[in-house]
Amino acid sequence: MSPTPTLQERRGDGAAALTRRTVPLGRRLRRGAAPWLLLSPGLLVLGMLLLWPMMRVLNLSLQDYELRNLLRGDTNYVGLDNYVQVLADPFLWTTVLPNTVGFALVCVVLTMIVGTCVALFLNSLGSTWRSLCTTAIMVAWAVPALTGTYIFVWLFDPLSGLVASTLDNLGVMEAGSYNWFTNRWTFYGIATLNVVYHGFPFIAVTMLAGLATVPKEHYEAAAMDGATAWGRFWNVTVPTLRPIIAVCVILSTIWDFKVFVQIYLMPGGDGSTPEVMNLGVWSYTQSFAQGEYGLGSTIAVLLTALLLVISVIYIRTLMKEEEL
Amino acid sequence: MNRRTPASTAAKAIGVVMLLSLSLFPFYWMLTTAVDTSPLSRGASLLPSGFTLEHFRYVLVDAGFLNYVRVSVIVALGTVLLSAIVALLAAVAVARFRFRLRTQVLIMVLMVQMVPLEALVIPLFLQARNLNMLNSLLGLILVYLGFSLAFAIWNLRGFVAAVPQELEEAAYMDGATWWRMFRSILLPLVAPGLVATSVFSFITAWNEFIFALTFMQDSSKYTVGVGLRTFFTQNAADWGSVMAASTIITLPVVIFFVLVQRNLAQGMTAGAVKG
Repeated sequence: MSPTPTLQERRGDGAAALTRRTVPLGRRLRRGAAPWLLLSPGLLVLGMLLLWPMMRVLNLSLQDYELRNLLRGDTNYVGLDNYVQVLADPFLWTTVLPNTVGFALVCVVLTMIVGTCVALFLNSLGSTWRSLCTTAIMVAWAVPALTGTYIFVWLFDPLSGLVASTLDNLGVMEAGSYNWFTNRWTFYGIATLNVVYHGFPFIAVTMLAGLATVPKEHYEAAAMDGATAWGRFWNVTVPTLRPIIAVCVILSTIWDFKVFVQIYLMPGGDGSTPEVMNLGVWSYTQSFAQGEYGLGSTIAVLLTALLLVISVIYIRTLMKEEEL
Repeated sequence: MNRRTPASTAAKAIGVVMLLSLSLFPFYWMLTTAVDTSPLSRGASLLPSGFTLEHFRYVLVDAGFLNYVRVSVIVALGTVLLSAIVALLAAVAVARFRFRLRTQVLIMVLMVQMVPLEALVIPLFLQARNLNMLNSLLGLILVYLGFSLAFAIWNLRGFVAAVPQELEEAAYMDGATWWRMFRSILLPLVAPGLVATSVFSFITAWNEFIFALTFMQDSSKYTVGVGLRTFFTQNAADWGSVMAASTIITLPVVIFFVLVQRNLAQGMTAGAVKG
């Protein structure tokens, strides 16, 4: 997008017309002010509701801030004590971090595999069947995380859920004899199913849009050279879609790292079963169940720092691909 | 590539059936549990044991879920209205003007989407408490405005950029001011994008759980998501009611989402590939 000078000039005139009544400054300044005038409500909202609270949480993470500090309205700085306490806690290294990082990695890999396979399959279909299937996976995407989680909890209900009943009918186990939600591995197995089910449609739809941009001639040329379907996928599709795949991977990583609702709403996920806690739930329960707002903020800062590193990679990938 | 052998046709048919049934199964299970006469003894049977609307009646009338729906609708519509106005102005600024710090603003808009809600809930809770904005619908609307805005700006930017500059040029040729051009050219052409973006803001507000749980402590101000938890007792859940309430929460989202999917794909590709 490189507009001609005349266009630029015209747009400047229009911008000036917008601000003429309110900002009677020099012509140059008026032209520069229009975008900022349009941006100001948005920047104000983002600043007050996102940036300023982030500063505040950073500030709180340096305090031993409890309910009584909140009531008295005073501060209680303790330096890096909270960070030392959290980072020295074996609970972080043996339970919370593996739950957060391991779960996110497994979910991202599975979501990408399922999403890509579905996209390749959809791409091979005729338009009627493709739009029918796309609508179906849109439904899977649209089911809110909140109710989706309850559906999975109900499907895996140890006593009368579908899975327990099926296993009972097959004679594998007696319904009600085992509670999957109390075991860390089965708990996260169910959570993974829930997150992948909710996440694969985005990948599938995005990859499908990308597949439409791969020139047919490339496939034909590869087929002429005797490439198999597998070879065509790795040597034609993947290199062409590399930017889209990168964005999909990084977005899924960010989403799967900050999974909260899908864990919190499962039985025992709200902190009552400590061994299934992840960073988000740990931070929330420290703050709102224990009243340790300072410690909760420290955990939140660590989670944010983790996401920030991933976000930087995301931005750099995007920046390489397009002029913003 | 386009071999049409009977075997590949059959394989595709099986694939379609599997994809359709797996994608829709949880949704189907929710709907059929909600109308089942005895959901707890249904077991593994694919069809419900009977049809009843008793769960819906109980949820809406006896359990007062209608009030939670009312709260959620007000909050979601407030969020949609505010975020549409604010986001459109910002999207026009970044898509139609070249100015210093433009790239930095765009990067900031992208970055703030990465901020985890768990990190914001503590400071915003303390702030809302100080301002006496807990249990306030306006407080929740403002918070959701913040969360939906970044995506709305990013999404609308693509739609605004997709409007051909020649159309604007033509309007100026006819002597239109910038404001006149905005109302008569840009706004009507961006309308589909505005609808898609609004639907997203609506869904963000409607689905949100952490802040609703933390801010709304008075049961008369519960949103649908928080209200859903009232159907769980210590050790047992009334699954018929939970699924009926879940259906009430899920249906509008699914309908909206499927309706705007075309717009959504258009906005996503416009936002992703074009500058």
